Amino acid sequence: MGASLPPKEANLFKLIVKSYETKQYKKGLKAADAILKKFPSHGETLSMKGLTLNCMDRKTEAYELVRLGVKNDIKSHVCWHVFGLLYRSDREYREAIKCYRNALRIDPENLEILRDLSLLQAQMRDLSGFVETRQQLLTLKPNHRMNWIGFAVSQHLNSNASKAVEILEAFEGTLEDDYPPENELCEHTEMILYKVSLLEEIGAFDKALEELHKKEPKIVDKLSYKELEVSLLSKLGRPAEADKLYRVLLSMNPDNYRYYEGLQKCFGLYSESGQYSSDKIEKLNALYQSLSEQYTRSSAVKRIPLDFLQDESFKEAVAKYIKPLLTKGVPSLFSDLSSLYDHPRKPDILEQVVVEMEHSIRTTGSYPGSDVKEPPSTLLWTLFFLAQHYDKRGQYDVALGKIDEAIAHTPTVIDLYSVKSRIMKHAGDLTAAAALADEARCMDLADRYINSECVKRMLQADQVTLAEKTAVLFTKEGDQINNLHDMQCMWYDLASGDSYFRQGDLGRALKRFLAVEKHYTDISEDQFDFHSYCLRKMTLRSYVDMLKFQDRLHSFPYFHKAAIRAIRCYLKLHDSPKSTAEEDGMSKMAPAQKKKMKKQKKAEERAKKEAESKSEESTASGVSKSGKKNVKPVDPDPHGQKLIQVEEPMAEASKYLRLLQKHSPNSLETHLVSFEVNMRKQKFLLAFQAVKQMLKLDAENPDSHRSLIKFFLKTESTSAPTTEAEKLRWSVLEAERPSISQLQNKSLVEVNEDFLGRHKDSLVHRAAYAEMLYLLDPSKKTEAIKIIEDSTSKVVQTNGAQIEWKLKDCIAVHKLLDTVLLDSEAASRWKSRCAEYFPCSTYFEGKRSSVMPDSVYNSSRKSNENGDTPNHPMGQTELGDGQVMDKSKHSRASPSQPEEAPF
Amino acid sequence: MGTGREASVSLDGVRDKNVMQLKKLNTVLFPVRYNDKYYADAIASGEFTKLGSSSLLGECDFDSDRIALIGKRCIFVSSAYYSDICVGAIACRLEKKEGGAMRVYIMTLGVLAPYRGIGIGSKLLNHVLDICTKQNISEIYLHVQTNNEDAIKFYKKFGFEITDTIQDYYINIEPRDCYVVTKSFAQSEASK
Repeated sequence: MGASLPPKEANLFKLIVKSYETKQYKKGLKAADAILKKFPSHGETLSMKGLTLNCMDRKTEAYELVRLGVKNDIKSHVCWHVFGLLYRSDREYREAIKCYRNALRIDPENLEILRDLSLLQAQMRDLSGFVETRQQLLTLKPNHRMNWIGFAVSQHLNSNASKAVEILEAFEGTLEDDYPPENELCEHTEMILYKVSLLEEIGAFDKALEELHKKEPKIVDKLSYKELEVSLLSKLGRPAEADKLYRVLLSMNPDNYRYYEGLQKCFGLYSESGQYSSDKIEKLNALYQSLSEQYTRSSAVKRIPLDFLQDESFKEAVAKYIKPLLTKGVPSLFSDLSSLYDHPRKPDILEQVVVEMEHSIRTTGSYPGSDVKEPPSTLLWTLFFLAQHYDKRGQYDVALGKIDEAIAHTPTVIDLYSVKSRIMKHAGDLTAAAALADEARCMDLADRYINSECVKRMLQADQVTLAEKTAVLFTKEGDQINNLHDMQCMWYDLASGDSYFRQGDLGRALKRFLAVEKHYTDISEDQFDFHSYCLRKMTLRSYVDMLKFQDRLHSFPYFHKAAIRAIRCYLKLHDSPKSTAEEDGMSKMAPAQKKKMKKQKKAEERAKKEAESKSEESTASGVSKSGKKNVKPVDPDPHGQKLIQVEEPMAEASKYLRLLQKHSPNSLETHLVSFEVNMRKQKFLLAFQAVKQMLKLDAENPDSHRSLIKFFLKTESTSAPTTEAEKLRWSVLEAERPSISQLQNKSLVEVNEDFLGRHKDSLVHRAAYAEMLYLLDPSKKTEAIKIIEDSTSKVVQTNGAQIEWKLKDCIAVHKLLDTVLLDSEAASRWKSRCAEYFPCSTYFEGKRSSVMPDSVYNSSRKSNENGDTPNHPMGQTELGDGQVMDKSKHSRASPSQPEEAPF
Repeated sequence: MGTGREASVSLDGVRDKNVMQLKKLNTVLFPVRYNDKYYADAIASGEFTKLGSSSLLGECDFDSDRIALIGKRCIFVSSAYYSDICVGAIACRLEKKEGGAMRVYIMTLGVLAPYRGIGIGSKLLNHVLDICTKQNISEIYLHVQTNNEDAIKFYKKFGFEITDTIQDYYINIEPRDCYVVTKSFAQSEASK
């Protein structure tokens, strides 16, 4: 380094490097300038100066200097290395890899560069390159433990686990017998366990178990040892030993569900679906009976049988399970049992059991068949459970009755208000739900969960400003919304984006949805530091797990939701070109709202100007405070105005679509948006693929049906193919058409009729049929509307199941009547019918919803202090059994008792 | 009496974070709405009890210096928790008698209806009585409507006596008269 310089300058150059490493950037800069004074075109110095400036937030200069450095000294590995570092600091890993490769061409044995390159290759999953680099590092420095381990891990990642085992064995061959020293026991343990898990992965269970037993004295993590051992024993088909070991593990932690699962497997009593023959159920029951006697303090051992027991034995077990928990007052009881509601008969049994309990406690004060008096709170928790039960079953009236009674019984329990809020949300009154969540929040201002739940409800009710204010109560002071962003608060981004989307503010909606995407990118970036850290700390099993997790990161629900929603924003942008989009929104609003909107806009503009001037200031001050990174860049586009100015929304949408298709191929929604995007892009073959995927995933889904009809209607109506491409497309479709079973020589009208024939009782399917009927032949509008209006809820089907209308489907139908079929009379008929059916729904203006002027939650009505119902059934007159005594004296207005105490 | 099962009852002070629970309680129990100042004072006293206490139960230390901390009005509120549910509260005010002796006035004592008859009221009152003895309070008193026999019986159990009757104490409930019910503490160690 700096070899071409005379001794004095060579020393200065060393100083620059040292200053960079110790973060004394000013000092380094001075030294660099001293060299450049004499040798103004010295490449390596220019590069180092650039790298130093990069750390002082002077990016543009940094890139200029580093580029100039490389240009002046293209044969220097230092210049290339620096260029690579610069790219790496900007997360441009692909470019960085190129630079490192250039540097290595000049200096192939540079350890530092090789190490850096290997990290980038791991990050970018260039696995064959990673193996190569790791091998080179090992060849150059075989006496480093880390190089052996790194090579082994790279082979493992590159799907060559047996090679990895060989490498680890070769490494062990180099170790002394008394290895490891006292202070490296943990690291050595991890290495052994990693090796055993590799052997397990390649199916060498015998060898794995042997290795595990052989190394037992050196393994300090006894729990992992036992867990690995038991897993190997099961895989080797040695159930008796596995059984014994599982019981040892259970005595250590009797609430670990995986141990129970393993134990069941030992007896051949495990099924993935949870379905068992009656013979097996009996055996399982006997097993858990004996286990529950052994592990009396375990709640898992009591809960698991509820999953497999049926009918009478279920009834008995569930009653036994519930009683002590209601007595104790466990608010989470319902969510603990909610998975049982997927079963066809269990909900009915639960209802019967708990209603019996309620009745018995009311009349005798004890559970059925018992004479032990229950504490007063048992009735409260029973009502609380029932409220959630009826809510789950869609009987909102009954649910509200129960929860109101519970609140009257004990008005100080916060969970009651949260549950009431949830019931209101399900019943369709989002305003009331938000008000109740706020009431719950006020009862414990130190509880972040209740606060967040309230924020979410407010956003669902489109009270964005209020929601922001509430959310900020739990962020760091002074850095409010940014702090939410830094905390990667994705539920907030999604809920807030949804609200903006509903309100037609696509800019802000997009901003929120894309923020979620950004969080995922950050999470993916975050793994970078672990490539070196985990090798050093030897936490290899967790490291490999983490990498696998990162590989499927984008299939997680938050990303899926955000990407779908972002694409929907882009679809909307595409459908309503930007110049008119805004005016459209304006014309739909009431004049008062318009005024508000205008005001808001003005305020925003002002804020924007301020932000701009601030950002100018901050860049200015950023320079003066050279090197210190305490200035946060101000968001130049806080309202997403730039985001909605994109030239080609469909191109943007395609970016996210590709990620969805790669990571969520089993979601119908993925293919639905793919269909919508590709139809708009006139990419008919891609759209056709989407239709095929939808039919494959769920052929009877109304959206699949709609897409199928829309697609063939569109492609058949286009004129005969003229260009080569069109001809090709046409021939592909001709060839593919017979493969679609729904079509089989039928016209689209017939396909539509068939669809209705299969789903006569379902509202959503009837609506899809009607929509397509109208699309295929607009003259059939009346018929289409009649099909919808003839729908009835609660049709009992031949198999005994009942289809009940869901609120969200009815809302969709209303929108269909109003905006697609364009019949406002039919829409309003539908609305009043639904208002009967969903009396709490604000959308349909139901009689008991908060839009009614006499509702306690109506915003125009001043609610009383606590948001309490004014005619509370309790409280006022419950004198008499000797505990509430001096209540009445407070209605005095006695002047003899001045409010101020006399001291 | 009531319950065949054990349930824990504990006492705690009031803080700004959970004062809403006290409000809920009072709304149900008493016909009067207290103003915000009442609750602000209650919170201040909660802080005060915390300052002086070493145990979770809010053992109160009526040290005269600390009384000064919260200003002229010294309200002391204690809530009762029945297996973690707030079911009752006692609110008292510390007053200075002529001559410098301290006395306590019970403003409210109430327990939610379903939780009455299991000793929670007694526990709350005993808690306050304990503090009074420890802190050399000369007397404790309250007002009771003349027809509230259950209340009078209850307080008599704790050594309270009717010491006075005030005519037309209440203006909008019948009967309008009230008794002053007082318990005096032995003044053997009163002079510090």
